[in-house]
Amino acid sequence: MEGLKPPDRSTGDFLALLKRHQLLGDAPPISGRHLEFKETIATTILGFKFAGGVLVAGDRRATAGNVVMYDRADKVLEIDRHSVMAIAGSPATAWEMARILEHSFQYYRRSQLQEMSVEGKVRALSKLLRDNLGMVMQGVGVVVPLFATYEKRSSEPAKLFFYDAMGAQFEATDFASSGSGASAVRSVLYYENSWGSQRLRERSRQEAILLALKALDTAAEADTATGGVDRHGKIFPIVKIVAETGIETVADDKLSDLFQTQVA
Amino acid sequence: MIDEPYRWVEAISNRREYIENELATGSPTVGLSFNDGILLLTFGRDRRKIFEIYDRIAIGAIGHPGDIERLRMMAIELASTEGFTRSAADVSLRRMATYAFSPALKQAFEQIYGPPYLARILFAEVGSAQDEDLFVRLDYDGSMHANAMNVGKRREGFGAIAGTRRGLEQVQNFLRGADFSDLRSALRAAVHAWGIGLYTADQDHPDVPEDSALKEFVKSKLEHYTLEAALLDRRAAESRGAFMEVPEPDLEAVLSDFS
Repeated sequence: MEGLKPPDRSTGDFLALLKRHQLLGDAPPISGRHLEFKETIATTILGFKFAGGVLVAGDRRATAGNVVMYDRADKVLEIDRHSVMAIAGSPATAWEMARILEHSFQYYRRSQLQEMSVEGKVRALSKLLRDNLGMVMQGVGVVVPLFATYEKRSSEPAKLFFYDAMGAQFEATDFASSGSGASAVRSVLYYENSWGSQRLRERSRQEAILLALKALDTAAEADTATGGVDRHGKIFPIVKIVAETGIETVADDKLSDLFQTQVA
Repeated sequence: MIDEPYRWVEAISNRREYIENELATGSPTVGLSFNDGILLLTFGRDRRKIFEIYDRIAIGAIGHPGDIERLRMMAIELASTEGFTRSAADVSLRRMATYAFSPALKQAFEQIYGPPYLARILFAEVGSAQDEDLFVRLDYDGSMHANAMNVGKRREGFGAIAGTRRGLEQVQNFLRGADFSDLRSALRAAVHAWGIGLYTADQDHPDVPEDSALKEFVKSKLEHYTLEAALLDRRAAESRGAFMEVPEPDLEAVLSDFS
């Protein structure tokens, strides 16, 4: 642990603190000869609003080129008691972003003695993405996340945002998806929302979980980089529900039951 | 002039007297370790005095709000950078107090051309088991007292700060014999201890009063002071921050004893 330095600013900005202590630098310029290497990429994630809040889910596969790097990757990360970030793209960058975000929100709350606003949180992620643009332009470290949170005192408390690689933030009205299987997932969610039995927002918890499993399974059908539901290895997607009471991770055996009785 | 050893000692001693006088009227803060975690309790007049530092660490303080704020920010910055660069599990109160705070406070106190910290701080860190709970009392001169940091010393399940040494001793005497095995009994014991600390801080009241007199004293103080209490929840410490408010019904139940 390093010695004490008197804080010169008390704005609750964790990034500024990291930079002051030289724990975070700008991305080094990569020039000259480029090494050929296959970056690990995390794939399909989705989120949609339902009657009980926002559901965020992601398959478990991370790939590097045609190699399955990892089949138990967690792409749906809890940032604080009411916020979840789902990641598609380079896990090396994305997990670091999640760590920075988690610490930023905590640092802000502890130092300023109030919770950061939802708008502030959404912009914090946007800023991280924009700061990462230099890396993206050099062809590595691209991250295209989703961010879901619950704002108690809002007329529309369940919030879902999606981003582009430059950090533009878009608020989703009903659903969002990202990653290599995103277009398949988007089609499924659009279809279900428009012509399905019910609008997504009116669906129950069970129906919502079921839809998430079906959508990821659909994405995996055509996209080798998406793990979907592994029937043999009993590997299920990560499904988290963001609601007024906080974040709930749907247990594997619950997913397994639902999948076996309703999908497979 | 001040470079002469005698003058330096005199200056330090004046400075100590000045700070002790400033701190003497401070409202005590009590930390109790029980089954479910740690309770931190004090009564304040117009500002907060108990703060979250990190996942398992909180502080209570007596002193000048500006100095408390500086120390609080330092603690948060130290813990946050350590927790970010390594892991939350590497943030340790023992290291923070010993290697960072004690030397910094001592240095500020002894450099007589610079301002000292006008503050006395109680750090609390909740462990995964009750015998790992740690309390550290840090004074403006960098001196440090922990409830247990070395082998062989009998571990005490509490920590406290008070305006005066006598007040602190009376609080400690009371807490050594007090029962605080669950939240309700801990709240009751902490309010009692707070009353004793404030009562005996006054030079006219060297001894601990009878229970009924103490009750009257606390009751009379409740007109000016408001209760402030926080929990470091042992179960929540594993996942996310352990720091939380004490549930309203528990506070009301304990305060109703004094109304």
